[in-house]
Amino acid sequence: MSFLAQAVRQVLRQVPNRSLSLAGAMRSLSISPAVGQQNKLATESVDISAIAKDQQKECQSICERINRQVQKSEQGRLFAVVHLCGKQFKITPGDVILVEGYWPPTIGDEISLDKVLLAGARDFTLVGRPILEPGLVSVKATVVEKTLSHTKTHFRKKRRKQYMRINFQRSPHTMVRINSIELARPVDGEAPPSEPSKRLF
Amino acid sequence: MSNSHLFLKSGFPRAPLQNGLGRYVCQLQRITLKFCKNNGSSRGMRDFIENHLVDFAKENPGIVVYVKPRRHRTPVLVGEYLNGEREWMSCRNSTQEEISKWIDLLKTQNGSSSSLRLRKMWHTDVPSIQGPWTPFLLRSPDAQGQVYPSEDASKPLETPQTATEKLIELFRQQQLEGGNEAHEVLNKKRAE
Repeated sequence: MSFLAQAVRQVLRQVPNRSLSLAGAMRSLSISPAVGQQNKLATESVDISAIAKDQQKECQSICERINRQVQKSEQGRLFAVVHLCGKQFKITPGDVILVEGYWPPTIGDEISLDKVLLAGARDFTLVGRPILEPGLVSVKATVVEKTLSHTKTHFRKKRRKQYMRINFQRSPHTMVRINSIELARPVDGEAPPSEPSKRLF
Repeated sequence: MSNSHLFLKSGFPRAPLQNGLGRYVCQLQRITLKFCKNNGSSRGMRDFIENHLVDFAKENPGIVVYVKPRRHRTPVLVGEYLNGEREWMSCRNSTQEEISKWIDLLKTQNGSSSSLRLRKMWHTDVPSIQGPWTPFLLRSPDAQGQVYPSEDASKPLETPQTATEKLIELFRQQQLEGGNEAHEVLNKKRAE
């Protein structure tokens, strides 16, 4: 069993499908007991390149199906999991999310959320490892409100020690409205050649 | 210890009138600065009005600014919002920088926020797109018709061959290979 798992791992390395992994494809890779038994009977006759080809074909067919769906715009509403200020949010167009703590963007700013960990629609899911390729999914958002939270009481007391402190604090909150989530280019297509980006991550 | 949070209203985040979906509309409509012309507690407010108020009004053409002098009263900031809320703030003895910060806060918020404890940092109208998860998701349909207790389901997925089973298998193999010879050997032994 472990031998087969290793073989599959090697195959995965050989498949030149870069940073995109498809949930459906991954699901089909999960080892069923029947496959394991076959392997026990004929351990030496596993053809790694054949498995790799099969996997590649399957990946391509899935990508093509996704692309066709997106071309016809039948994919429906998209959702995404984005990483924003140290937290992950599951968002869909029209959502409101709140960022806690100091965050420079001000009201009316239109920003694009680039750290997309996962994007999906009704029929497919694109899983990044850990994030999807930059430029594959574009998530646009608007900063709607910057305000302070309610007053939080920070109370400390030590018994029998004549020690008591009370502090009040309000932390800044930023409300962000998600405007759109779109697939910017075909799923398995090559990334357009671009100059090295000025992004920090 | 303060127990004021016990009576605090709690709620969920929402932005008024789908704000930000098409374009963003600043929610602050009017701001009133009340101050005294000669009292010391209004000094910061007077400095702010002298130095920054015109710039503020030019930068924000959508906000109406009223300045109201009144004798021997504390300086006050009042903001009025599109949703009808009104936020009152005392600026007694505060400096020019503090006042500009508070005015910035009044400008950027959607209404008075101090009275609401948020229960979630996220609001959505469409909670699930692929459908909620159930224990039967991505499982084979056989599992639905399964009757418990079932022997197949309660077995471990992979059991290694025990030594006894191995011995029995070897013995069977020998018997098949040997065929009748083994029987003859056995018979001979028994005869002896």
